[in-house]
Amino acid sequence: MNRLSALLLRVARALLPPKLARWGQAAAAELLFIPCPPARLRFALGCLCWAAGAALSARLSRLQATRPEPPMSRLPNDQRATGLLCALAATGLGLLYMRLAGAPASYLMINVGALICGLLGLAIVSLAEQRGHLPAGPLNLALGALILAVAVWGAEADGVARWLNLGGLVVQPSLVVLPLMLGLFARAPGWTAAGGLLVAALGLALQPDRAMAGALAAGLLALVLVRPGRPALLALLGAGAAFAVTLAAPDPSPAVPFVDRILYSAFDVHPLAGVAVVAGSVLLIAPALLFWRPGPGAVVFGACWAAIVLAAALGNYPTPLVGYSGSAIVGYLLSLILLPRRARRPAAELEAPARASGDPEPPALYAAA
Amino acid sequence: MVRARALSAVARRVLAALAEGGWRHGYDLCREAEVKSGTLYPLLIRWEAQGYLSAEWRESEGAARPPRHVYRLTPAGVRLAAENPAVEPDPAPAGRPA
Repeated sequence: MNRLSALLLRVARALLPPKLARWGQAAAAELLFIPCPPARLRFALGCLCWAAGAALSARLSRLQATRPEPPMSRLPNDQRATGLLCALAATGLGLLYMRLAGAPASYLMINVGALICGLLGLAIVSLAEQRGHLPAGPLNLALGALILAVAVWGAEADGVARWLNLGGLVVQPSLVVLPLMLGLFARAPGWTAAGGLLVAALGLALQPDRAMAGALAAGLLALVLVRPGRPALLALLGAGAAFAVTLAAPDPSPAVPFVDRILYSAFDVHPLAGVAVVAGSVLLIAPALLFWRPGPGAVVFGACWAAIVLAAALGNYPTPLVGYSGSAIVGYLLSLILLPRRARRPAAELEAPARASGDPEPPALYAAA
Repeated sequence: MVRARALSAVARRVLAALAEGGWRHGYDLCREAEVKSGTLYPLLIRWEAQGYLSAEWRESEGAARPPRHVYRLTPAGVRLAAENPAVEPDPAPAGRPA
């Protein structure tokens, strides 16, 4: 428990903006003087929440203090921030739907908890991204192996194995990590990262999961169309084969209340619930649609989440964010790294000021589309 | 005109703990004011920036232990604490179930 406390405080210190580093050091020193391990853990958790809030606040402040808007851009120019707002709004609309539909309070709390976890996860992934600690190849291989392991050893229901039971909390790992894997691959489409996607595709075929296999294929198809490459093409072939296998295999999963078939049933509950579900679903894809000439990352993001929403409309698959599913909320927030922090603008207009300001966006996302 | 924001009950408790005098440690303040570390540090940071709090590093007594950050109210902070005494929670009304 002491190690966990120390680890949480290290994460907290890493999240804190540089101007608060002294305070992070103070909290870390204080931890050593707390005699009782549970109290240490509570202290470290509190510091982590504070650091996450401070990091988010510093980030929002930076966004507000950006350079003057170019004349053509009337829309918000930060796709990732727009995605974050859409995620918050869609989750809120989902809570409204579940409240109107009479879902158990624990469902609402789990979605709120997932939102907090997802925000924390996004902060960590963004930090790792800034520091260049997001190696697409090894991460995709590890996450692909996780999806495959779930297919073999995961929790099973009605002959389908898609879930992990974490001490009573059932999560769907593919929904959490697959959009992130697509994001990592879109940033650095190498052979190792493509191998990770192939392993994931195998896992999805074995589970079987039409929705996620379809999302993988849709995301890769979008990537191949906007930025062709051999690794992407190979991964697309694998994902297409996995999707075909899932279409051929029977999927007897019944519809789960507040999770599946929501797009059909929400209007029966209440007109407001129906509007909330439809608006929330549209918001999921909005970050990819709102911007002029979206980059490859945004196109993959839009294709992936459009496929997941479409699958939810057509079959018994989770309706992301607007239904009861913490995995989808965390997965959506993590996948926001697919979106650049600044919208693409015509090169002639963008080139000089972007370089002068040291825009930290990796060049892969701005490669020719 | 800038109007001072009313302090929360938690902030008042931390101020009261600090107003007892002397240099105080972060964890001691957490315990005494019954406040979470995630609430305490933003308050300390704000008060230091506003000139209500002094903070400095002090060597700890144990040989192998690192220095600790300690906190004390400035004269302006003492006035702030006097103007914002800790609020005792209202007792539950008689006859109402707990």
